[in-house]
Amino acid sequence: MDYHDDAKGIICAVSTPEGRSAIAVIRVSGSGSASVVEHLMGLEKGRLRGMRRKTGVIRRAGVELDSVVALGWPEGSSYTGEEMVEIMCHGIPEVTADILECLMDAGARKAVPGEFTRRAFMSGRMSAWQVMSLASMWRGMDHGNRLSGEGGSECSRLLRETRRVRELLEADIEFQEEHGTGGSEDLLAEFGSLMELTGEFRRKTSVMEGECRVMLMGPVNSGKSTLFNRIAGGEAALVSDEPGTTRDGASVHVEIRGRRILVCDTAGSDGTGIDREAYRRALGTMKGTDGVIWMSVGGTEKTPGEIEKTAGWIIRVSSKSDLVEKCTDKEWLGVSCVTGEGIDELQELVSQFPGSMSVTALADRIENRVGAARDSVIEGDFAVASENLADAENELSDLLDRGSCALISVERALSGMCVGK
Amino acid sequence: MSRCVDVIVVGGGHAGIEAALAASRMGMKTVMVTARKERIGEMSCNPAIGGIAKGTIVREVDALDGSMAVAADETSLQFRMLNRRKGPAVWGPRVQSDAMMYARAQQRTLEAGAVEVIEDEVTGLIGRTERIEGVQCRRNGPLKGRAVVLATGTFLGGMLFRGEETWRGGRTGDISADRLDEDLRRRMFHVERFKTGTPPRILRDSIDTGSMEEETSEEIGFSFSYSGSRLSELREFFYTVHTNRDTAEAAKDFLHRSPLLAGRIEGKGPRYCPSFEDKVVKFPERAEHRIYVEPMGYRSRLLYLNGLSSSLPREAQYRMVRTLPGFHDAVIHRFGYAVEYSYISHEEIAPTLRLRRTENLFAAGQVCGTSGYEEAAGLGVLAGINAARQCLDREGLVLSRMDSYIGVMVDDIIGRGVDEPYRMFSSRAENRLYLRQDNADRRMLPAALGSGVLSEGKKKVLEGRTEAAGRIRTAIDETSMDGVPAGILCRRGELNPLELLSTSGLQGSVELSLAESVILDEKYQGYIQRNLRKHRERSSESSVTLSSIDSFMDIEEICWEAREVLERRRPETLQQARNLPGVRPTDINGLIIHLGRKCSTWNNRT
Ligand SMILES: Cc1cc2nc3c(=O)[nH]c(=O)nc-3n(C[C@H](O)[C@H](O)[C@H](O)COP(=O)(O)OP(=O)(O)OC[C@H]3O[C@@H](n4cnc5c(N)ncnc54)[C@H](O)[C@@H]3O)c2cc1C
Repeated sequence: MDYHDDAKGIICAVSTPEGRSAIAVIRVSGSGSASVVEHLMGLEKGRLRGMRRKTGVIRRAGVELDSVVALGWPEGSSYTGEEMVEIMCHGIPEVTADILECLMDAGARKAVPGEFTRRAFMSGRMSAWQVMSLASMWRGMDHGNRLSGEGGSECSRLLRETRRVRELLEADIEFQEEHGTGGSEDLLAEFGSLMELTGEFRRKTSVMEGECRVMLMGPVNSGKSTLFNRIAGGEAALVSDEPGTTRDGASVHVEIRGRRILVCDTAGSDGTGIDREAYRRALGTMKGTDGVIWMSVGGTEKTPGEIEKTAGWIIRVSSKSDLVEKCTDKEWLGVSCVTGEGIDELQELVSQFPGSMSVTALADRIENRVGAARDSVIEGDFAVASENLADAENELSDLLDRGSCALISVERALSGMCVGK
Repeated sequence: MSRCVDVIVVGGGHAGIEAALAASRMGMKTVMVTARKERIGEMSCNPAIGGIAKGTIVREVDALDGSMAVAADETSLQFRMLNRRKGPAVWGPRVQSDAMMYARAQQRTLEAGAVEVIEDEVTGLIGRTERIEGVQCRRNGPLKGRAVVLATGTFLGGMLFRGEETWRGGRTGDISADRLDEDLRRRMFHVERFKTGTPPRILRDSIDTGSMEEETSEEIGFSFSYSGSRLSELREFFYTVHTNRDTAEAAKDFLHRSPLLAGRIEGKGPRYCPSFEDKVVKFPERAEHRIYVEPMGYRSRLLYLNGLSSSLPREAQYRMVRTLPGFHDAVIHRFGYAVEYSYISHEEIAPTLRLRRTENLFAAGQVCGTSGYEEAAGLGVLAGINAARQCLDREGLVLSRMDSYIGVMVDDIIGRGVDEPYRMFSSRAENRLYLRQDNADRRMLPAALGSGVLSEGKKKVLEGRTEAAGRIRTAIDETSMDGVPAGILCRRGELNPLELLSTSGLQGSVELSLAESVILDEKYQGYIQRNLRKHRERSSESSVTLSSIDSFMDIEEICWEAREVLERRRPETLQQARNLPGVRPTDINGLIIHLGRKCSTWNNRT
């Protein structure tokens, strides 16, 4: 989805759950939203500018649609940071649909999922970290994680701690020998607890970010389930030599090179008979995945066009490389689950799926920097230690800010959100 | 009937000495006017030169052929390399000096350096402010000069305080430069007030050093000067003691009589060198503070109590001192006091240390808002060079903060201003891994050669060292140890300098310490290059103007808070914008994107 085409126009959406309810809230955001709603409610111009509340009736062609309460926020202090209005109307789908239609007639556009939050992020109202916390709450993956303010979040806590340790280090450099004060009694112990905190932070990010989803696909009996078991390290999928034994998707959570990855096995397809249904289902779920591993014995079966079109990222595996002649095409990776050939390379490739990078990778980098800093202190090079801590701080501030490398993660977090968030 | 010289230096402190010598080395007829000849080069405070970052400044001054390093080497009583276990980038060479001998050594250097010294008080400047014609002396009348350097230290409008006692002076027994202070104010220079203080001096015979911790000298033959000085062979003992609850109590009992707390001193003091009463107020839970007991000189009868600076009344100081272990019968020779003085605000000062509103008036030392001998000397040599270059009609020398602590200091003072006396710290330098004490000669060489400040002898020494360093670097590029290229070993910190020299046949022809230094440059290369790159990116931002932006409030690429700040402060360049509080790095990126969209200023930049 390309948000950038129309990053500025007025957007609108119903922000409360679908279905019938006592009230529903419609959010309208973007410069000019106030006058759009004022127009719908027949209010004088400027009535909803600034922090304002107005009650009124929305009419279309003289017909009363609903009586509503509208709340206006000025630019700079709304959820999105833009000029914004929230319309509270009756929670009847027909009513909300009508009002949305009116808004669109007046120049607004329907928001895409997560777009309000995205704008909040872009205008600096929310940090990358907050967006991701929100998204993980939204997905219900992490119930312990309340939408706390910036101050309470792990990220700023780690930033504060890193900074504090660096200050201690600097005080040790400048004052300890020259003035006999300053620094810390036990610098290494300080680093020890900082390392712990960093590890905690890394675990947290991988939970927040969610997993990278990979689908194993390929013709019947191409060795998908054997590979799946190899990855899963157990008998998770039913395997047999008879074609078509794997009837439906099994999935397993694995950690490959520190990335949490969900590998989904699918039924093989020869495009006929009983497999057709399972294959169609597999294609249907492909949208939510980060990539596909396409397997075929000796690389003989090309990736179907439907998969080429939908999958973001494909690894082509030429399987059973111990039995058949290897595929010479560079696009294909020769793998044998019997000899283990190519397994390492495959894991490396999987861990490089774009979806599995970003925040977790950033957390890794932070952990590396802090570790390097501690090593430098042990080696007796405090200035280098300080450089490394400063790097970690920069990475963290980037996450608390809206820096470039945090952006991938934000896009990912937003893609899991609903319209109206 | 008045004479006309080239450069007039007002003040014979650490800044004035270096300024006068630098101008003189550049061939200028130079006159120093100072209140008292025999106090030239006096250490107003503690008898020590160097320290962390400060020691590196001393070596930078030496690389510009200044005199501080040699004087310190020749009169040292003890040497320590501070932070030895914390990495070469933060090593701090420091000597305890014989204060009297140090001042004498400096006085002799001035004489040898053909600087004429006039003992007098400067009471004002002559000529229009835009183009100063010289100085007015109290006894000798007007003295004309083509450039003037103000190095008045703590003397401008100097006021001394101790308890309820208040008297005029730049330090005890000295004048206060009140008339000059008035003249500067009349000329509408923006001056502000700072304060600093000094501890009591004790009669050595009156204390018992038996129970004190003793500090001894590190004997490694280190000299501050790259030319290698005649190192002093005199040695003295130094001691440390700790204050206790009684000391703190004594200070507390008299707090109400502190001139600072009673509000009689308005100037702000140094946070990092506080008076003992400041420490008691700031750390009420801590009574133990380390005090260094330092003889003022070889076999001197006076001891300096480093860490016990105070401006409390005499009774208080008396009680405080006597609580220290071994000090129960101590006799105070001179009581501590505080000094409040005027300094020139940073807005007035250009990176060449010229005062912006004038063509030929320069400032150096404590009068620029700094504190410390080394800081003063660093600014002094730069001001001297630029006063001379002004007379020679050459462009002023500006030192980059990427290459020297002097550069960091000038950039900090002028770019950010000071809100307390500025003391150098290694952490002020983003390029700290490069700004080491071991390579100051190579770092400063381009500026030293370009400015013309080097005497022939010094030039030879420094060029010789740089040439030798070049040979070592070639050896690193060309040598392998057990098949591993020496360059890689450098980066891993595993190259043994002795081995490098013997393998490459350089042994005997280059100094070992030079090899160590070049190896460090190699080792830190990655960090240094990265810091330089970042700095280049930043400084290119100073050439990006924001004048095309009518309203920052409409820039959607940056966050709301930053928009408000920018709109209020209206910075002229991207760099100024970056320095504003509330503007985050990503807002700057946003601003760049916005500018890129809006016009082509940014694209044309490179
Ligand atoms: C009481 C006291 C406490 C200090 N405490 C500390 C400390 O705790 N830590 C620290 O780092 N530094 C301290 N210092 C500062 C340290 O001494 C200075 O930073 C350093 O000496 C500054 O050097 P300078 O050359 O700028 O000035 P100074 O060394 O002060 O020299 C100024 C010179 O200018 C001359 N002069 C001034 N005005 C005139 C005039 N109108 N006409 C003729 N001659 C004039 C004076 O006679 C003097 O020779 C203290 C200084 C004092 C006086």
